[in-house]
Amino acid sequence: MNEQALIQDAQGGNLDAFNTLVLHYQDSVFNTALRILGDEDQAADATQEAFISAFKSITSFRGGSFKGWLMRTVTNACYDELRRQKRRPTTPLEPDTDDGEEMDSPRWLADPSMTPDQKAEADDVEHAIQHCLNNLPLEFKTVVVMADIQGMDYSEVSVAIRVPLGTIKSRLARARLRLRECLQGFAELLPASYRLEEGINAS
Amino acid sequence: MNQRDLELLSAYLDGQLNPSDSARLEARFKSDLQLVSVLNDLRATRNLLRKLPERKAPRNFTLTRKMVGQNPPLPRAYPVFRLATALATLLFVFSFGLNSFNRLAASQGPGFGMGGGGGPEDSVVAPYAAEIPATEAPAATEAPSVALAPPAPTLVPTQEAANAAQTAESPALKTGEAPDELNQSQPVTDQQVPQSPSPVIPSAWQTGLAIVAVIGLLFMLVTRRLALNRWR
Repeated sequence: MNEQALIQDAQGGNLDAFNTLVLHYQDSVFNTALRILGDEDQAADATQEAFISAFKSITSFRGGSFKGWLMRTVTNACYDELRRQKRRPTTPLEPDTDDGEEMDSPRWLADPSMTPDQKAEADDVEHAIQHCLNNLPLEFKTVVVMADIQGMDYSEVSVAIRVPLGTIKSRLARARLRLRECLQGFAELLPASYRLEEGINAS
Repeated sequence: MNQRDLELLSAYLDGQLNPSDSARLEARFKSDLQLVSVLNDLRATRNLLRKLPERKAPRNFTLTRKMVGQNPPLPRAYPVFRLATALATLLFVFSFGLNSFNRLAASQGPGFGMGGGGGPEDSVVAPYAAEIPATEAPAATEAPSVALAPPAPTLVPTQEAANAAQTAESPALKTGEAPDELNQSQPVTDQQVPQSPSPVIPSAWQTGLAIVAVIGLLFMLVTRRLALNRWR
């Protein structure tokens, strides 16, 4: 995929070229929205909004990391979604388990690439991490999702959310510390392979 | 653990420290075990986040032309036809309205739009008329000859004068001659009012405008449909 050529075509109004970029980045954009919002349906809405907004303003893209630019768009869409939620709070329709946790989505359970044990393990980890992410302030969450989950480097994150590099470093350090404290509360739930001590030994 | 050390450790973990800062921090690791412990915790947290499974997008988020409000490319003449159609429609409606207004104004008689002809005016006239000497009453009886003059307004004062004369109980009325003449004058004035005025905008113009509007509209619809078909 010649990204630069596709971007140029899209800037000229070629929707097919832009859709090729959409297919390439939609998983990353959706996952970013999912980790920031913590809800699959809202994340899908924010992703769609982000791509529409990206196409309409693609002429403002002046080079650099296209992924970073897309991440800024999706982050803005997530902020809009969160602002909407604050104005009109809603109750989720998914049934809860006896512990008050939301039940697993059927699509997640239907993933054929994992054994039931692996699914349960991964599900526990994912729930724990998502819970801890949800407890982070929004500006910390955005940085940690981009840097640690999406694997973007500091400068890309800085460009994406228009915050100085020093602030990115500071927010990331504090976000990691808060996550560590939160995840320690889930130590019993986490499978051995995911425990923090394992991470220490592995590194 | 202060904030500065925490930031240094986090940046060190990501390889974002310059060589001199890295060397200085590594030197501190030998004497400060708490730094090593926090570094390991941060690393473990980062590893945990990196192991988070990436979800597949639940559907394709490709955009349609409708989503982004893209319109099919239309011929260059399209805006000209659009403007012509809009203007023709506007002028047609305006001319129709103007002619209707003119017809309505004519049917309302001379008092229409002049602010007079109502009760208050009568009340003003009546006292004046009451003062009219009986000798003036015959003037009213001459109304038929005056009423033949085309401008209707001249009739009004004459009738008012006649009415006034009636209220004044002039001797002429008592004789019974004047009412007959007044009654004769009424049909003449009634025949004058219904004359319908000629329209301000000729109907030929209106027809022309309607034709332009319809043709323009048809052209726009057909062109748009063809462009849309080609575009798809």
